[in-house]
Amino acid sequence: MSKPNPLLPHEKSGNRWQTEVEVTHGIGLHARPSVLFTRLAKSFPCSIEVAVVGSSEWLNGKSIVKVLGARIRRGTRLRIRAEGSRAEEAILALGELVRRNFDEDRKHGRADGRPL
Amino acid sequence: MAAPMAAPCDHRGKAASPGRAQGPAYVALDPAVNATGPTKGDARSALEAAVAQAVEDLRALSARADAESAGLLDFQIEMLLDDEILTPAIERIAQGDGAPLAWAGAMNAYIDAFDGDSAASDDDPFTVKAADLSDLKHRVLDALAGRPPADFPAGAVYVGHDLPPSLFLTHDWSKGGAIALLRGSAVSHVAMLARTRGVPMVIGLGSLAVKDGQTMLVDGAEGFVRLDPTEPSTVPIPFPVKPLPFPAPAQSRHVAPSSSSVGEKVRLCVNINTLSDLEMIDPALIDGVGLVRTEFMFLSPAEALNEERHFDGYRRIVEHVKGRPVTLRMLDLGGDKPLPGLVDAGSGSFLGQRGIRLLLAHPEIARIQARALMRAAALGPVSVLLPMVTVPEEVAAMARLFDEEADRLALLGTPFARPALGIMIEVPAAALTLDLFVEAAFFSVGTNDLMQYLSAAARDEPAVVHLNARSETALFRLMDQVCAAASALGKPISVCGDLAGDPEGAARLLATGFRDLSVAPSRLAAIRAMMSPTQTGAAGL
Repeated sequence: MSKPNPLLPHEKSGNRWQTEVEVTHGIGLHARPSVLFTRLAKSFPCSIEVAVVGSSEWLNGKSIVKVLGARIRRGTRLRIRAEGSRAEEAILALGELVRRNFDEDRKHGRADGRPL
Repeated sequence: MAAPMAAPCDHRGKAASPGRAQGPAYVALDPAVNATGPTKGDARSALEAAVAQAVEDLRALSARADAESAGLLDFQIEMLLDDEILTPAIERIAQGDGAPLAWAGAMNAYIDAFDGDSAASDDDPFTVKAADLSDLKHRVLDALAGRPPADFPAGAVYVGHDLPPSLFLTHDWSKGGAIALLRGSAVSHVAMLARTRGVPMVIGLGSLAVKDGQTMLVDGAEGFVRLDPTEPSTVPIPFPVKPLPFPAPAQSRHVAPSSSSVGEKVRLCVNINTLSDLEMIDPALIDGVGLVRTEFMFLSPAEALNEERHFDGYRRIVEHVKGRPVTLRMLDLGGDKPLPGLVDAGSGSFLGQRGIRLLLAHPEIARIQARALMRAAALGPVSVLLPMVTVPEEVAAMARLFDEEADRLALLGTPFARPALGIMIEVPAAALTLDLFVEAAFFSVGTNDLMQYLSAAARDEPAVVHLNARSETALFRLMDQVCAAASALGKPISVCGDLAGDPEGAARLLATGFRDLSVAPSRLAAIRAMMSPTQTGAAGL
């Protein structure tokens, strides 16, 4: 089921899949990116957690309250881990979303109202 | 109790608000109908329902919005669909908070976490998000406030043990109607509201065998009700003749001031209970708004905890009076002014957690109001009155709270001004020690409460209300002292109680040395007539 992705290294330990990705989006995981991230996370049945590299606190990746509250800024390295059904697929999809800058350039405007 | 008067079906009570009206009875004798707080289970489901309602509203909005706006609305929807957002609020409900306080408190804490390190950069997008989160918070509070309390048909005569002020304020009195209470008190807050609005009211009927829908007449001047009146009904009078002075004036030992005795200007201001009172006020004819009883503007905890509702209400008052000073009193809850789920009712609480005591015990409410007051103060001359102050430490604590919230507003770049804080003089301990209140910039005497506390006779307790009225001599001795003390301190002092709205009472206040009165809009003409030909300070008079 998982799509192999040589550009996004990921690893398995036990039943858990984990990857790490740098946030390069102009602002970071603020409102619109957080919405996209958590909506995508919620489309998977497995449990998904995120943690900022350097912090030992794992947050529920399906909770926008938690993700937004973590104030994940540009330049942050983000760990994503998943456990359960379709876990590998989930971390790859979420990691890709972050890497693609949340498809920002496909939108006409930006959620924060700044010019592109 | 039903002593016959003019006809066999007349029932005698006591006059509380003059005027005559008749209509079908609405019998509300189930005490459970009155403000009881929700249980913990109810609070949780009320909050969940309000969140669901807010999501539904947002989805409807989002469907009509352009892509950019839809993005922001989707963010709010996503937040509300996240169970995590309810977790801290539900913990607070488990500890006994009502739904609105739990929600507002939990959201404020979450938002504060975003404001926290915003000093670093003004345009930090994570700080900008605080505005969206506030919007979200208010949307759910609106949904919580959405269900108005059970109202009764317009034009009906309300029959009950007592009438909660919130029910009075939400009811449509434009079709007439009246109030007949088995208990009640003429000096209660709801009686004051009835007199201001011109709604006939009789109290102290004891018992009354009346069926729902039965036609009854209420004569609020004579103090009786009549069941099945035989004479053809006169059209109900929504705004009856000029209200009588109340409480009934004692023998005319009051001396009206001559023009020479009132050489200085007298400031004549108005008291406001609700925004609809603004319609009765021509700003050109007043010197300002001497008292806004903010507790009557917000009738549910969800409204009282909504900073935007506060700000919007204050803004409308400030704009209406076109630059004249406005004195807003912080929520004076407790006593006979409960807020269901937040503050319980009952005579006992007249001596308990009321006014500033309650605000300091629930600083979250005070902080919300303080922010809205300071934002309003940026729009015009606004000062703030603290209710039920007993000792100077209470003023100092509230001043600190204002300072802290001012810092927060400054951090967010929200326009604000720090208003002067004054205190109500209604507790004898404060009335006797004005000099100790260094931080109070001005004083305002609440004669109704001061009389109640001087006589130790609760204003909503019919059995002792005569003692309340009889404490007038003690009141005026104290008023002499209070007036002299304020003058020695060089601080402004005004009188905003019912006494100032009674021509004889006002005359006596002027003779005592008071030069600043604030009265109900309906009493302005009578007080101005009493002072004529002495000049008031109002422009063009």
